[in-house]
Amino acid sequence: MPQLNPEFFVSQLFWLAVFFIFLFVFLWRVSLPRIATVLEKRQNKIDENLSSAKELQEQAMEIEKKINDQINKAKLETDEKIKETINALQEDVSSQLSSLDKDLEKKVSDAEKEILKSKDDQMKNINNEIINITKLTVGKITDIELSDNELNKVIETHKGNFN
Amino acid sequence: MAAKDSPLKQFEINPISNIELGGYDISFTNSSFAMLITVLVITLFLTLTVNTRSIIPSRMQLISELMYNFIAQLLSDTVGDNGKRYFPFVFSLFMFVLIGNMVGMIPYQFTFTSHIIVTFALAAVVFIGVTILGFINHGIKFFTFFYIPGVPFYMHPLLIPIEVISYLSRPISLSVRLFANMLAGHTLLKVFAGFVVSMPFFTGVFPLAFIVALTGLEILIAFLQAYVFAILTCLYINDAYHLH
Repeated sequence: MPQLNPEFFVSQLFWLAVFFIFLFVFLWRVSLPRIATVLEKRQNKIDENLSSAKELQEQAMEIEKKINDQINKAKLETDEKIKETINALQEDVSSQLSSLDKDLEKKVSDAEKEILKSKDDQMKNINNEIINITKLTVGKITDIELSDNELNKVIETHKGNFN
Repeated sequence: MAAKDSPLKQFEINPISNIELGGYDISFTNSSFAMLITVLVITLFLTLTVNTRSIIPSRMQLISELMYNFIAQLLSDTVGDNGKRYFPFVFSLFMFVLIGNMVGMIPYQFTFTSHIIVTFALAAVVFIGVTILGFINHGIKFFTFFYIPGVPFYMHPLLIPIEVISYLSRPISLSVRLFANMLAGHTLLKVFAGFVVSMPFFTGVFPLAFIVALTGLEILIAFLQAYVFAILTCLYINDAYHLH
């Protein structure tokens, strides 16, 4: 078995030491730090991206909150406006209604007054007519000239009878 | 079977150039050449693929990063935060054994991990290093490692020698495991390769098919043994920090 032949033991140990020490030092000082920097760089990049993504998410949430606030505010404002308008309209309508009522009342009372006045006038006319007719009739029948005052007195005394 | 056709012939060491230093023969051999190729493959691959240092990795860079993370994860799982400073060593060990095994899977290439002296040297480095680490961390208290708490007192005369022997046999088990796996796998491949040639007519196709399947298995074992070597090293480092 060649493995147990000590002829080349020293040579193998020597070259093993040379190559393994070279490999160890080279990897330790050159290759592994390179890979480590790459991995670290990548990890930093990932962390950076993650943190910026988080930041952006927070900003987006803030904006969303602002939008919601504004929507709520706008809703409240419109509600207020609607209420105000309804109130103003109601006031307007009620004031118009009351002014109409007043007008109507005035018109009614005016008409009543006119009716009363015309009634009085009619009554006066009727009195005059009665006086005139009575004068004429009495004059034609009796030739007595009755004065207006006398006739008025008579009519006044009998007024209740034909009223 | 003639000696030149022996399945063990592939493990023979042949000097490429004869070098002597201080009376010792340190010839550059086919084994040293395999080590050189292994080291070149590892250093060039890990350096060139990460050369661009791009945040979005190329496929090759991704392989380097995967291997880095694989061993980093292994260390942090077994040792924890203390393990970070041994990362370059464990990584070098893993890559050296892994690529050494893989280079050995190339036909006609020498497998230096199939030599007990190489695997034993690696295991001895781990064993001695871990023992020194244990004494640095715990001083003389490190010997309590062999004392198992919560066992009836009359069991200790039996258990302490067992613990000591199992501790001392660590480098042997670590090195023999890797060496024997590589030796057996390559010998088996060679034996079946011999059948392909020696069997009559077309029946040689069957051992050939078996070789193809076995090569797949051997590649798996090559990875697995490197992994086992690395994870046991991690566990031993962990033991040096936490005695039981």
